[in-house]
Amino acid sequence: MEKIKITLNINDKPYDVRVFPNDTLLEVLRDELDLTGSKESCGEGVCGSCTVHMDGNPVRSCLTLAMEATGTKIKTVEGLATEDDLSDLQQSFIDHGAVQCGFCTPGMLMSADALLNKNSKPDEKTVRKALAGNICRCTGYAKIVEAVAHTGNPQDHCPDCKTGGKTKE
Amino acid sequence: MSDYTSDYTIVGKRMPRVDSRAKVMGKAKFTADLKLPGMLVGKIKRSPYAHARILNIDTSKAEALPGVKAIVTGKETKGVKWGVFAYTRDQQFIQIEKVRYIGDEVAGVAAVDEDTALKALDLIEVTYEELPPVFDPMEAMVSETELIHEDFPNNINVHVNIDTGNVDENFEKAYYIREDTYVAPEESYFQAEPYAVAARFDHEDCLEVWCPNGGPHMKSKPLSNAFKLPLHKVKVKKIAIGGAFGGRSEICPVDYICALLAKKTKRPVRIQFTREENTIATRQGHAMITTHKTGVDKDGRVLARETTCYMDGGAYSSTGPIATSVPFLSMEQAYRMESVRYNGYRIYTNKPIRGMIRTHGRGFACGLDTQLDMIADHLGIDPVEMRLRNSRQPGEYTSTKSYVDSCAMDETIHKAVEKSGFKEKWGKLPPYHGIGIGTNSVQTGFPMGIRGGSQSFIKFNEDGEATVMSGVVDNGQGNDNMLVQIAAEELGLLPEDIHLVSADTETTSSDPGSYSQVSTFVGGHAVKIAAQNCREKLFEVASKLLKVEPDKLAAKNRLIFVKDDPGSKRCKASKSIPIKKVVRISLLNFNSVNAEGGYWPKVDMKREWVKNPYGQMCEAFSFGTTIVEVKVDPDTGQVEVLEATAAQDVGYGINPLVLEGQFEGALTMGGQGGMLTEYHEWKDGRCINPTMLDYKLPLACDMPKINTIIVESIDPKGPYGAKEAGMSIAMSAAQGYSAAVSNAIGVYMDSFPLTPDKILAAIKGKKAQAEKKTSKNNAVN
Ligand code: FES
Ligand code: FES
Repeated sequence: MEKIKITLNINDKPYDVRVFPNDTLLEVLRDELDLTGSKESCGEGVCGSCTVHMDGNPVRSCLTLAMEATGTKIKTVEGLATEDDLSDLQQSFIDHGAVQCGFCTPGMLMSADALLNKNSKPDEKTVRKALAGNICRCTGYAKIVEAVAHTGNPQDHCPDCKTGGKTKE
Repeated sequence: MSDYTSDYTIVGKRMPRVDSRAKVMGKAKFTADLKLPGMLVGKIKRSPYAHARILNIDTSKAEALPGVKAIVTGKETKGVKWGVFAYTRDQQFIQIEKVRYIGDEVAGVAAVDEDTALKALDLIEVTYEELPPVFDPMEAMVSETELIHEDFPNNINVHVNIDTGNVDENFEKAYYIREDTYVAPEESYFQAEPYAVAARFDHEDCLEVWCPNGGPHMKSKPLSNAFKLPLHKVKVKKIAIGGAFGGRSEICPVDYICALLAKKTKRPVRIQFTREENTIATRQGHAMITTHKTGVDKDGRVLARETTCYMDGGAYSSTGPIATSVPFLSMEQAYRMESVRYNGYRIYTNKPIRGMIRTHGRGFACGLDTQLDMIADHLGIDPVEMRLRNSRQPGEYTSTKSYVDSCAMDETIHKAVEKSGFKEKWGKLPPYHGIGIGTNSVQTGFPMGIRGGSQSFIKFNEDGEATVMSGVVDNGQGNDNMLVQIAAEELGLLPEDIHLVSADTETTSSDPGSYSQVSTFVGGHAVKIAAQNCREKLFEVASKLLKVEPDKLAAKNRLIFVKDDPGSKRCKASKSIPIKKVVRISLLNFNSVNAEGGYWPKVDMKREWVKNPYGQMCEAFSFGTTIVEVKVDPDTGQVEVLEATAAQDVGYGINPLVLEGQFEGALTMGGQGGMLTEYHEWKDGRCINPTMLDYKLPLACDMPKINTIIVESIDPKGPYGAKEAGMSIAMSAAQGYSAAVSNAIGVYMDSFPLTPDKILAAIKGKKAQAEKKTSKNNAVN
């Protein structure tokens, strides 16, 4: 098999890369481009830890060929924060204690980010449905669901909504 | 006594974890993310047979494949065996004469890329002579075929026998006796991160290793033995870890194989497990067959109990003696019993290796609780009262002679009952709705001899910030944050002023690791003592500057100030001094500010899992109660969980935000997964559901509302009074779930997990019985 040169647009930057036709997007991101934020947990489309956006839609990069991604806009977990600022969703994950081991976190964030882009105030049920394709073994999902539902939508009853990452009384 | 006060500024507060920023940015590095210059890809050749003799291994074709850099087989390891205990050293790093399960390691390959490594595996020719395998533990004990390990007669790997009180006499005195048997198959960890290990030898021939682990020092010692290297030359390094849940505590043969390949090739090597390998070739939870015989008095108090448990241990010992004991110990801690006899047998079979898991003994514990409910039913006592009559009380000794100091078991029961509305719901729910309660207790630590303690070092930098060194590892549960909170509290700094160096065997002292629930109690404690010692040094300097005795000083918010000085609040400047300034003045006086501190739990060093299972096990125990409400669909057998309430006595809640997360995760794994969907299926020794596609893990949409209740008993020995957090929930959740389903369908279940097929069969059986009764009654009439 021959490697083919393609250009990928990832987090608004162009990357020239040589890939085999059967290379997955996940392999190329992780092995060729050093974007190791996207994780492989199952490798067969079940766990969602490899989720990235392709033109705004969440896709499983372990099931997506790198070649398929040419001409699309890819966004990975590395593209959520700007130079100095975390996105509101990222900050909400921190504040609500939604991160434990953190291995599922990048995929969770990408699924949640795609949801919030379409529906900025989802109710709990909608969040649970949107995250049903992302497996977390650590958290039991409660704090993840809270973090997503409360992003940009702080709740008075929630002790973690206004911490801004600081210890509080 | 505990030095607990209520005016802490950093511990006891909801604090977002220090490690989460890197994780939400995708910057945290896990082993599979590492890129070392010149790194090769390692792969493992595994046995396709469950039991076979290795006649020959021919690696010549594989070696000739371009891109293959090294191949290792048992010839290199010369049959060296290892094991957690001296008397369980039964596993070779690479098998040399025999394979004992489908997946056993027979060779390792290092190559330039994955495709080449995989091709090389195919080219390694292994000639086997198949031996009759045995997969059923009960059969294995009577099988006439070749033993799995020749020095273990009847394939019995471990036998734990505990006998206290007058069991036989008490059974005679009992008002009511029941004997029931409960079964549960194997379950798996399914850590999000598949196992991976990277290794290289540095320029000084030191071995550097990165891998998910439950304790870096537990990895470095066996590696140092195997490579005959002094301990300081084996450096297990810190790396982000994607979950452990009781697995990943011991050395994995592949750690050794990876290091050996690195040695042979003089290049870094990384081996990444597939999801299937993570399930098959790390560890699994034991399958168990447990018979509980319980005798009670008229009021339902347990007078005598006899429990016999057969555990399917798989091919090797692993943590066998611990695994054979813990299910029993948890129950003897949770419940008082006047007399008890326990026989636990761990039996070798030709299946993957079983180790410790977070919900260890789900069938054991659920069986015991189910039986308690049956007895209560018979005596007309409700399940809550039944538990309160038998629950552990503070100041008592367990049957195996461990003193239980702090214990708020009853409070966890009362609070969970109140929150869940159990009393209002019990017996009054509509058909196929049910509510159930489970209670359990977990050890805060195991007796570990010279490795039972932890030591910490702290140094102040000239900018007033501090570096804290500790051997504690964070598998995802938040241990790093716990250490930072403790250090900041004691040093009077803010969490962001603490730089943590942990889980690294080169720079930190030995530590028992996280898998015995002891990180806070021992490792956190060591940091607390080190920080207190360091603070004392600061106070000595500050006392001269502020012209007060050191014991009048306190440290908070980067300042040292005079305690209880009414003036200090109004006029801070005159009566306080920045810590940074104190550090610099100390340096100018030729004194650096640093300190060490250690903690060794006072356990009975003579206690041993098999030879002497009596004496002080650990210094503290956690206690937990879970109440679950469910609705069962009688047509499909599907269980919908309506609400779950989890209450645990954690001693003291160092970070409620983290604790809630632990409770929620524990309930999900132990209850939702452990009791409803998770189990392995087998065909001829082959696991047929090793992947996430076939093994059903709980999803966000499956989970009910979870109420978490933190109960504090302020343990006199724990740091701030803290003990273990979360494990008593993982265990009691399984019991709560099973009780709720049994209650919903009106059948006491004895085979776990409670999958729809079993539930439907139970409902059908009950209906058939009822029909038989009516037709009999009609006939009589
Ligand atoms: S790794 Fe892609 S879905 Fe699991
Ligand atoms: S935080 Fe560990 S898998 Fe989700």
